[in-house]
Amino acid sequence: MAYILNRLLSVLLTLFLISVITFAVTNILPGDVAMMIMGTQSNPEALAGLRETLGLNDPLVVQYGRWIGGLLTGDWGQSLVFKEAIGPLIAQKVVASSLIVVMSMAVALIAAIPLGVWAAVHRDRWQDSTSSTAALVGVSLPDFFWGIMLILLFARALGWLPSSGFVHPGDDFLGAIRHAFLPSLALGLGLMAHLTRMTRATMIGIMGQEFIRVARAKGLSEREVVWSYGLRNAVGPVLTVAGLQIGYLFGSIIVIESLFNFTGMGWLTYQALLNRDIPLIQSTVFVIAAVVMLTNFLVDLLYVVIDPRIRLS
Amino acid sequence: MTPIVRIDRLRVTFGSGADTVEAVKDVSFEIAPGETVCVVGESGSGKSVTSLSLMRLVEFDGGQIVDGRLTLNCETGPLDIATADSSAMRDLRGDEIGMIFQEPMTSLNPVFTIERQLTDGLRVHRRMSGPAARDRALELLKEVRIPEPEQRLQQYPHELSGGMRQRIVIAIAMACRPRLLIADEPTTALDVTIQAEILALINRLKRETGMAVMFITHDMAVVAQIADRVVVMYRGEVVEEGPVDQIFSDPHAAYTKSLLAAVPRLGEMRGKPAPEPLRLVGDIVDPKPLLPKADPEPLLQVSNLTTYFPVKGGPLRRHVANVHAVEDVSFTLNKGETLSLVGESGCGKSSCGRSILRLVEPTSGTVILGHQNVVDANPRDLRRLRRQMQMIFQDPFASLNPYMRLAAQVAEPLKNFGSASGTDLIDKVASLFDRVELPRDYMRRFPHQLSGGQRQRIAIARALALSPKLIIADEAVSALDVSVQAQVLNLMMELQSDLGLSFLFISHDMAVVERVSHHVAVMYQGRIVEIGPRAAVFGDPRHPYTKALMRAVPIADPSRRTFEDDLDFKPIPSPIHPLTFAAQPSQYEEITPEHKVLHIS
Repeated sequence: MAYILNRLLSVLLTLFLISVITFAVTNILPGDVAMMIMGTQSNPEALAGLRETLGLNDPLVVQYGRWIGGLLTGDWGQSLVFKEAIGPLIAQKVVASSLIVVMSMAVALIAAIPLGVWAAVHRDRWQDSTSSTAALVGVSLPDFFWGIMLILLFARALGWLPSSGFVHPGDDFLGAIRHAFLPSLALGLGLMAHLTRMTRATMIGIMGQEFIRVARAKGLSEREVVWSYGLRNAVGPVLTVAGLQIGYLFGSIIVIESLFNFTGMGWLTYQALLNRDIPLIQSTVFVIAAVVMLTNFLVDLLYVVIDPRIRLS
Repeated sequence: MTPIVRIDRLRVTFGSGADTVEAVKDVSFEIAPGETVCVVGESGSGKSVTSLSLMRLVEFDGGQIVDGRLTLNCETGPLDIATADSSAMRDLRGDEIGMIFQEPMTSLNPVFTIERQLTDGLRVHRRMSGPAARDRALELLKEVRIPEPEQRLQQYPHELSGGMRQRIVIAIAMACRPRLLIADEPTTALDVTIQAEILALINRLKRETGMAVMFITHDMAVVAQIADRVVVMYRGEVVEEGPVDQIFSDPHAAYTKSLLAAVPRLGEMRGKPAPEPLRLVGDIVDPKPLLPKADPEPLLQVSNLTTYFPVKGGPLRRHVANVHAVEDVSFTLNKGETLSLVGESGCGKSSCGRSILRLVEPTSGTVILGHQNVVDANPRDLRRLRRQMQMIFQDPFASLNPYMRLAAQVAEPLKNFGSASGTDLIDKVASLFDRVELPRDYMRRFPHQLSGGQRQRIAIARALALSPKLIIADEAVSALDVSVQAQVLNLMMELQSDLGLSFLFISHDMAVVERVSHHVAVMYQGRIVEIGPRAAVFGDPRHPYTKALMRAVPIADPSRRTFEDDLDFKPIPSPIHPLTFAAQPSQYEEITPEHKVLHIS
């Protein structure tokens, strides 16, 4: 319990710091919201008037307080580009991006864990070198390369899956999965390679431990020794790394969503940056940071379930 | 009587092609029902590989049984383990043969409960599950004398102490009532009191169940205490085999003789006035005792030394408690003498040594070296003081830089203190190599090209480079094989008599301490509980802890078996105290002016 409270406290503290940094950085950028709204050629007096109305002349601390207050009460302001309320806009995009992030993570984990274990058990034999080579190729090539290859193969050549667009899972669940599949795979391949290496290394360490020898000396089958005695110990570290990769995934979706014209958070952030939509930039950056923090917090909670040493200390 | 197992011309190799290493070359012996056979040898002798071959676990480490027969007499008839298929081997492991290992801290799976780990074997071999398996698990825990067995079942390994874990590992091995128990160095990683408990436990289980025990160890004292028969191995071969009494009283093989000569035996210094080197096989002259000077001159005076380590806790990592590592310790070490700090793990002996060098900052107290206080010395003075005191650590491989040539490592302190350069430096380093009896052509080698004992010699050479007055040796010989340990101990004693060095010798090994010390301080819970001349502390121990420690030490003499049925030493209480805790000063009762015993409150 103390552990969970501890972690929760640090999550809140980090979120606060992130909000401060986000706010500060967007305020340092040249140009302000008033100028974005009225254009660079606008009348200085009208500009000054708008600044006064928007509260841009207030001290930064007051502006920051107003922003955070809005975030907390659900009033996220208006997007300058989309002329829409930011809150609902982000909510919709978060759903879209979560879909490909969750799917790519699932793809990566489902493939990486067995592959990594397989490589570790057959350490230094052909199985291991095959898996290592494949993983190396996977890690070395950027996501968009895989994206292009997947589009060429599955959309162009085979015509099995759509190459672009987003369908809301509430409207058509299967369609949503079909549209999200290729971007997820493109994101998941690099991640999978990384997690395979990680699983392999962790498993090799664990399989050398004395308790594995004790398990064999009890007469347990090799399957139980590897998949139960060994893997249970490897899951924690692998999931922790996977959790950290969520941040990396949210970074990568900017490229991948643009490539697949998939209108999620990455696409939204890109639009916001392109158009200097300062309120939207602040909110998207903050939301992405918050999602990454929360998933890591969830992984830490999962760790409590997996590892009794943390549960009880 | 038909033996339980017969090993016949066993040969085991690792690797393939040109890199093939023969770990076991030609090993034959047998084990009869109800018998304890000790397989003894130094590292690399092939004793562990032999035991792993009996379970065919050796193949998981890359080993291969290339020749020989391992006949196990099962109820259904003889079975050759060397050629049995893997499913037959699985049936056998944990059922006919149980095995326990060296490291109790890592022998249990950290993420499974004790119950799960205890009942695995029952599930696989006896098809037991649910309440039946749980009942049997409880029975096993009672059999190995675990207190509060019901609670233990739901606990995880990290909640138990090392000794307790080793009991659990033994219970796991005993689950299906094996006819042979293989114990591979089961007490090497344990403190001597816990070792005594575990040895007594194995002895009792053997007697109650009639199983045979194959006990692998490097420790001749343990052998003397528990073996019926002894198999001595050296470089993959059996060099001698026989009943324990004969091996100790009338060894035939030259190797056995030299092994036994190298073993310090507790009590053998009785009546001797001063430490003396071990008499190794081939030594012609009798070793000379290292008599202390008639008018001893103090070199190091430690008074009321106290070291606490902060315990951090809470979300803000506040300082919430203290580990009382060293508590009000005082002693004097004379020039040219050895004072030993002896005690079990966690007693504060290492922290005490480090506090003296200020490798950790003491909380209070004074450490006077020569005429200067180390504790409040400024950085420049401290550097000068450290020149006079050097340290040797337990693991010579870890304390040497793997990427530097040995000559450079020995030269380092000389360069750091600017005391030599150029050809003068090379000459000095060469003479240091001579001093620790290493050939000069080793100067260009790297640490991995040396054996453990040779590396420790390098560590000693490096410590000697600045001609220090005091050397703090922290478990300096604990990781070495006994024959090498004896050579290094003799080297240290020789250096003492030639150079007038003082040693603060930190060790857990009572027999070694008895051999090398002029004075002894026994530590427990951060305090010195008894201090005095070696003859007084060993000959007339007064503090209950000193007595318990002495009783627990196995003696390398089969005619002096001391093991009672079941031993149960009290666990050491926690040294962590709240910030407000005011420790009592250490008060001593004087037996003689020199021999003092902590007042028991």
